[in-house]
Amino acid sequence: MIEIKNVSKWFDDFRVLTDINETINRGQTVVICGPSGSGKSTLLRCVNGLEPYQQGEIIVDGTSLNAPKVNLYKLREKIGMVFQRFELYPHMTALQNITLAPTKVRKWSQKRAAQKGMELLERVGIPDKADAYPANLSGGQQQRVAIARSLAMEPEYMMFDEPTSALDPEMIKEVLDVMIDLAREGMTMLCVTHEMGFAREVADEIIFMDGGRIVERGTYNEFFTNPKTQRAKEFLSQILA
Amino acid sequence: MGLAYKFDWSVLWRQPYGMWLLKGLGLTIVIGLSAWVIALSLGIVIGTLRVTQYRLVRFVSTTYVEVFRNIPLIVQLFFWYYAGPMLFGETLSREINHISGLNFYVAIIGLGLYTSSRIAEHMRAGFASIGRDQYQAVLSTGMTRVQMYRYVIIPYALRLIIPPITTEFLTIFKNTSVAMTIGVAELTFQSYQIDAETFHGLEATTGAMIIYLFLGLGVVKFMGLIESRVRIRGLVGR
Amino acid sequence: MFDAVWGNLSYLMGGLWVTAKLAFFALTGGIFLGILVGLARISKRKWIYYPITIYVNFLRNIPLILVIFWFYFVMPIIIGRSIDPFPSAVVSFIVFEATYFGEIFRAGYQTISTDLVNASYSTGMTYFKTARYITVPIAFRRMLPSLITQSIVTFQDTSLAFVIGLPEFVRRASIVDNLEVASIQLFGFVGIVFFIICFIGSRISRHYEEKGRKANIL
Repeated sequence: MIEIKNVSKWFDDFRVLTDINETINRGQTVVICGPSGSGKSTLLRCVNGLEPYQQGEIIVDGTSLNAPKVNLYKLREKIGMVFQRFELYPHMTALQNITLAPTKVRKWSQKRAAQKGMELLERVGIPDKADAYPANLSGGQQQRVAIARSLAMEPEYMMFDEPTSALDPEMIKEVLDVMIDLAREGMTMLCVTHEMGFAREVADEIIFMDGGRIVERGTYNEFFTNPKTQRAKEFLSQILA
Repeated sequence: MGLAYKFDWSVLWRQPYGMWLLKGLGLTIVIGLSAWVIALSLGIVIGTLRVTQYRLVRFVSTTYVEVFRNIPLIVQLFFWYYAGPMLFGETLSREINHISGLNFYVAIIGLGLYTSSRIAEHMRAGFASIGRDQYQAVLSTGMTRVQMYRYVIIPYALRLIIPPITTEFLTIFKNTSVAMTIGVAELTFQSYQIDAETFHGLEATTGAMIIYLFLGLGVVKFMGLIESRVRIRGLVGR
Repeated sequence: MFDAVWGNLSYLMGGLWVTAKLAFFALTGGIFLGILVGLARISKRKWIYYPITIYVNFLRNIPLILVIFWFYFVMPIIIGRSIDPFPSAVVSFIVFEATYFGEIFRAGYQTISTDLVNASYSTGMTYFKTARYITVPIAFRRMLPSLITQSIVTFQDTSLAFVIGLPEFVRRASIVDNLEVASIQLFGFVGIVFFIICFIGSRISRHYEEKGRKANIL
């Protein structure tokens, strides 16, 4: 379970996040949407300790990020993250991208890591690309490798930061399909995305953020058919237009 | 630490050592500035020749640059100082070798030639970064190539390359220290001499380092002034 | 024509060997230290960034000969006995050249997007493991042409060890010159050898620059 309690973050006098409260239970899929600059990406990065925050507390499975000697590396083994621009290591093949962390962090043997890597590549649909370099992969393929890379560490939570925003339309589906499968298999997921089709399929809760605050939340149906706030209404009319 | 060593910082100002350092600094500045004049004038010319349409001229100037860049400065100075006079034949070489302060002049010329090749390279980079359209725009007003270079391209390129030129100006003062290998009594040489006499080389060289730092600061400030005077508004991203 | 050279060839080549050895140690040490200096220069921790920045800016403003002398004077004091020119020269060069390699690596590190590094962290990789398997290898590949060019400069700089009496290539040539006074031959020969080596080196650097520009993958 991830608990976010009254988290605020600011740069000088610019408030990036204000009083964020949220609980994500095991097996849930939570979708965060909102206009750009609303702090969605920053929130994700606070959860796995990539970004610090000044106020509040984030607790992951009982471990508070505020604790003085918190081991962020161990925490990050539990929480996988997929980035908008894929961020594959350009000097390594797809398989090497996936096996790097298990071999260096978990000290797996090359054999075991490669086996796991191939399994994951199969799962995301591109086992034939194991020895390809990122430059020779399409955006959709790269993102799927990125997902496999995160899954290699057998995380308990997965976070997605606009995973399809940098993709050409034809490739969005292949990535969303992988994500939907993951959600249906019971992975706990926190996704920042504009893909409402995805949200409709698997989201247990939708959070709408604006200006660093959670402005509205609810199930897909509640949010879409009956938005309560003005900002939410404006946002919906824009993305559905 | 084998602290049988007693520091003696007074070697920096005690006479005659203080005077030595000052004289050394003087020589460093004179050699640096004189070589800089040679380097700048030659470098601009050769850099421009590197981009002419005539293959032979390009080849010759490129060879010039490659030769002076790939041979260490110390080797060049040795060559000009020891071998240089011999190039003029038996009788003339004896005359030349009797010129007092020969090493001083060799240092200036050698350092000037060496640095000119580096400036030529910077010029070439400067020309390359001026868009082709600019060249075409000037030519279409009816100017000859020579006029274009003289009135537009060269002044433009010079301003573009002020940052690397500043670095070269700094470097030329640092490189004056190499002249000590042919016996020129510049700053580094003097700090070594102080050690020879007093065995307090550590203090002397540390002091020399600080002097070079201030010299460098002066150069940077000076070039900064020049840059603000000749700045092309809104062009070079400041 | 070049009799003074052929007559003393083994002696002179011995000097070239010393030059090569010095360059080898200077380069290995300088590049390794440069990798660390570059990391320090992009660090957000002030206690790492400021001292290293001062060190880099200080050394880049003073002549190498002076640094060579300084270490030659300082090291006997520190270790309590006199020191050979070779180890003293190696230390001077490593410390000096690391500032230049450091700036090259720093530029390389800055081409790596924050999120690439974040992607590594988010799989549980530590700072040092990320630096070792991601940041440094990528920066190295991207900056290879500059690294080669700077290595050529370092190779040329080794000739300055002349001033502390190291029997390297240039010094041996001048020793022979003292005996045989065939300056044109001897220093001409030294010049030609340096030219060939450095020219080839700059071609290699140019090759990697072209290769990198075409591929533009990394």
